Amino acid sequence: MESVLSVLYQFGTNAAFLLLSAIGLIVILGMMNIINLAHGELMMIGAYVASFLYHSGVPFAACVVASFLALALAGVVLERLLIRRFYGRELQALVVTWGVSLILAQGMLLLFGPFLASIPIPFGSGAVGAFSFSWYWIALIAISLLLVAGLWFLYYRTAFGLRARATMQEREMARALGVRTGRVYMLTFALGSGLAGLAGALMAPTTTIAPYMGQQYVAPAFITVVTGGSANVIAGALGSTGFLSLAETPFTIWFGTFIGIVAMLLASLVLIRLLPKGLSEWIQRRWLS
Amino acid sequence: MSEESNDENKIEKITNEVDSNVDRESGEIPELGLSRRDFLKGASGVVAGSMIGGGMLIKGAPAIAAPESKTVDIGFIEDLSGNLAIYGLQKYHAAQLAVAEINQGLTLAGGPVGVGGFASMGQQAKKPPLVKLNPGSGEIETVDDGGDATESGILYGEADDILIDSGEKGLLGKEVNLMAPDGQSNNRLWQQLSRKLIQQDKVDVLVAGFTSAEREAIRPIVDRSKQLYFYTNQYEGGVADEFTFCTGAVCEQQVIPVVQYMVENYGPRGFTIAADYNFGQLTAAWVRAYTPLVGGEIVGEEFVPLSVSQFSQVISKVQSAKPDWVMTLLVGQNQSNYYPQAAAAGLKFPMASTINMAQGYEHLRFNTPSLARMHNAVNYMAEIPTARNKAFVKRFFKMFPKDPYLGQMAQNTYFSIHLYAKAVRLAGTTDQETVRKVLESGWVVEAPEGAVFLEPGTHHASHYIRMAKADEDHNISFVRDWPTIEAWWLQRLGVNLVRHPEHKQYTPQEDQFFPMLQKMASK
Repeated sequence: MESVLSVLYQFGTNAAFLLLSAIGLIVILGMMNIINLAHGELMMIGAYVASFLYHSGVPFAACVVASFLALALAGVVLERLLIRRFYGRELQALVVTWGVSLILAQGMLLLFGPFLASIPIPFGSGAVGAFSFSWYWIALIAISLLLVAGLWFLYYRTAFGLRARATMQEREMARALGVRTGRVYMLTFALGSGLAGLAGALMAPTTTIAPYMGQQYVAPAFITVVTGGSANVIAGALGSTGFLSLAETPFTIWFGTFIGIVAMLLASLVLIRLLPKGLSEWIQRRWLS
Repeated sequence: MSEESNDENKIEKITNEVDSNVDRESGEIPELGLSRRDFLKGASGVVAGSMIGGGMLIKGAPAIAAPESKTVDIGFIEDLSGNLAIYGLQKYHAAQLAVAEINQGLTLAGGPVGVGGFASMGQQAKKPPLVKLNPGSGEIETVDDGGDATESGILYGEADDILIDSGEKGLLGKEVNLMAPDGQSNNRLWQQLSRKLIQQDKVDVLVAGFTSAEREAIRPIVDRSKQLYFYTNQYEGGVADEFTFCTGAVCEQQVIPVVQYMVENYGPRGFTIAADYNFGQLTAAWVRAYTPLVGGEIVGEEFVPLSVSQFSQVISKVQSAKPDWVMTLLVGQNQSNYYPQAAAAGLKFPMASTINMAQGYEHLRFNTPSLARMHNAVNYMAEIPTARNKAFVKRFFKMFPKDPYLGQMAQNTYFSIHLYAKAVRLAGTTDQETVRKVLESGWVVEAPEGAVFLEPGTHHASHYIRMAKADEDHNISFVRDWPTIEAWWLQRLGVNLVRHPEHKQYTPQEDQFFPMLQKMASK
């Protein structure tokens, strides 16, 4: 019983880590097809906002919401100034966002030094027999699922979602039908960076809040989104986090952390070889259509 | 900045420098040839007349010197930006402090036998004092003084003022200049920068390197140019290089004390979590080899890639192994996340390390009690409550009031630069070969940690090792002292760079000693 719970917990935390790393990128890369290398830095700024607010007495939950709003606003600015000039030019967008990431990380180092005060992990620990765990990670698992559900609702059950999906699939046609595509792009980018900020704030207590902290999330985020594919980004992200943690968790238990990571990367490699359009295309074909 | 310059120590200092020359002359100086004469010629400039007795004539053989430079240039590479900036900035600031002091006419006490102190029986407190650093004021505050002096023991006196008058501003009449480009945590850039400093700027000495990867990236360049090089980091050990001086602590100085302390105080079963690269692997090999010798066993090992920042699986593994203590050899800011995550998951095992707290000041960065029960055999932490260290910490934070901490490698950098200056002053020249020979004469420098001896044959330093322990509030106490631990492993391998120059790094795999220990342990 204890060991079953322990394995489930390990699986859940691995999946939640991938999902939270990827949540903003699901929108920006998965939907808008912008290779956003500044994704990690957006998460970093989310954590910075949370840390500043937390240490000026704001409750942690409010800090997380504030990080979402602040980063959504920053996303609007970034999109208006830079990103909108690079729609449909993926490689140029890649270079530009890489430049943005360098400026943001080094700028934070110059402005605030190598570290910011950390946030204590809320909720403390629980135990079942000899197996003890952190309630906060349980909360993160639940929150990451809620976020994906919310994203699904927004894109598949609201008028905004319909217009957004139309814009991403057939921009000219959507515009001809009266959709203000420029605005849809702006709002989508703002949502993506807001979610990155929110995820950064949620991760903040578990990590060192530092200028280069974003780097740890970039690779997992890209692997998750690319393995998921873009046919249905939300189903894809859910499927790929489940699939990748399913590969990682047992190999880590048996052979150690390094082999666990190798197993995860191999799994995504094999999957992309077999399903070049990602997991979501297969899910779509199999179950959703 | 430092008003501590004091004239009364002048006499002591001169005595030391004179002593050092006498020792040099009567001692053995094999295979020095031409450069020996250069050395003596140079030395005469500083302590003129004090060395006539040796029967040496000073003549001829002009130094093969590079075009006269108006400054003494110290090439200094550390990571001032990027992932490792947290360590690089501390080291850079410590180097700036050392250079400023040299230019003001100050030096650290020291010489071939060091200053020494007297010891006597006396009464001391039962417990070590509990202290904490206040970076704002640069004060080391005493939280608990350990109680009344009721225990008897040997009390050892060491000089409180280690910063003494050097007799000149700068070095050999020149200003000391720190050339410090930013390595940006990027190994390839490190190679370019070291090439530029060595070949173009022709620096007189190179002080550089945080990670072993950085050091190994630039060491071939150093060797090709015969560049005098100081590596000031704590590291895994084994570098035997004619041109490299390693002034940080190595495995034999830290691993054995910490493992012994953990087994004695918490029980035999240890679990190692280590960063999965050069440093972590080799240090874990030392832990594995030595734990059985002190009556313990390593019940599990987990190597974690540097990119990992999420530790719930590692934490579960440690839990299921049920160790008595956990050895954490975690490197970099991603991996330091282990501590708060483990605390939040309810892990309460005592922890041991050779790096954490002393380098990345995790005890000040993370919320209490993430680092509670952490033990580290350090050669330096800013909290060391001795008078000489308190003065050093004050000087540092006066110069850099916004800095968060002053760590192990910053202190190593500081005394290494002072040591270099002392050697140049004695040599009377910045000619690198001559300075290298002088450094190989058995120096003791009075560092903030205590007396440090630079062993000539291996180019490694002995250190004053203290067992630092963090409590629930992250206050520090030093629960055991080893006033001198030598870096003996290269000596065991027969390395003597004075007689047999070499340029390599030894690993435990090359020493049958380690398999032997393993075999003994398995019996």
